[in-house]
Amino acid sequence: MKIAVSATHRSLDADVDPRFGRCMCFVIVETEGNEIKNHKEIDNNAIRATRGAGIQAAQTVANEGVEVVITGNIGPNAFNVLTQTGIEVVTGVTGKVKEAVEKYLKGKLKDTSGPSF
Amino acid sequence: MKKIASTGTKGGVGKSTFAILLAYKLSKNKKVVLCDCDVECPNDYLILNQKLKNPTKIHQQYPVLDKKKCIKCGLCSKTCRENAIFWIKDKYPVFIYDLCTACGACMIVCPKSAIKTKKEKSGESFTNKINNNFWLVTGRSKAGITETGPIVSEVKNRAIKFAEKKKTDYIIFDTAPGTHCSVIQALLDVGKAYAVTEPTPLGAHDFSLILELLKKIKVPAEIVLNKADVGNRKLIEKIAKRFKTKISVEIPYSEELVKAYCEKDLVRMVGLI
Repeated sequence: MKIAVSATHRSLDADVDPRFGRCMCFVIVETEGNEIKNHKEIDNNAIRATRGAGIQAAQTVANEGVEVVITGNIGPNAFNVLTQTGIEVVTGVTGKVKEAVEKYLKGKLKDTSGPSF
Repeated sequence: MKKIASTGTKGGVGKSTFAILLAYKLSKNKKVVLCDCDVECPNDYLILNQKLKNPTKIHQQYPVLDKKKCIKCGLCSKTCRENAIFWIKDKYPVFIYDLCTACGACMIVCPKSAIKTKKEKSGESFTNKINNNFWLVTGRSKAGITETGPIVSEVKNRAIKFAEKKKTDYIIFDTAPGTHCSVIQALLDVGKAYAVTEPTPLGAHDFSLILELLKKIKVPAEIVLNKADVGNRKLIEKIAKRFKTKISVEIPYSEELVKAYCEKDLVRMVGLI
């Protein structure tokens, strides 16, 4: 399974970026069972978007084929398109990217029913 | 027909008041249409003691996907500068209407003509006759519309057509404050713009922004300095020099004028200037 986490810099040890649309970058984590198998970092081109940053960022992670998005906050537009695409969205997450993914895999993070702002 | 604009970046400096007084003065011996382009909160009609009645609807054409024709190429999404089209590989594009400005670019680029349109009301326009030489055209956007540039553009077209029909000598566009899309639409193709400001630090800061915009869109600018005798006029003179523009109208601060304005007494206001 692939998980996208908004991150403050390009590392598994980075903090989860509280913003989704305008986060610094995304860490794409590949998991198998409860283990992190692989990870890569991708730029978030939407960071400089004048409008619709959330949509553009959602497109970026969706095109990576992720099934789950973990972030701090997400707006209504990005939330709706992601969930309509069948991607699970988890918000309100803080701490390190790696810890966030591990928590999710252990079932300690629940998906969100709506946008956080 | 001469096209003139009354504009400025800061609110409350007297853009509308100047536009109305100019239109009113010109109407003494010329025919004038005043077009209120501040569609998010048009209020020229208030000072002119009018009521907005008999609206003509303004529509915008929003994109709708014809799934039978769509080949999921994503060109529409890549073209959209508003990021209003969500598209992922091998899926149909999704239009986000909250972000769409109805610019029509997606329809133009679609290689299969798979994007149809749906009409939706985005605003309305009104026409009032002030006197035999003076008409007011007002645009008003529907509450909740985030992108009002296209509404301004439509109101402007209607006002120009109306002015041509009435064979007026002047059309004056009163813009919203700021330098955003709505203001730009109101200023495009105008022969001369009066940048209204006041000699205060805030007035000066915002003033350089509007001169920057006018330079960029190649509209000749002249300066209207309101409350010219209070504050520090050197602030404005410095910027005027930098942009090679001149202060062509000065309105001194006058308590009488403020009183007449509060009482919507146009005749008295004109008499005081």
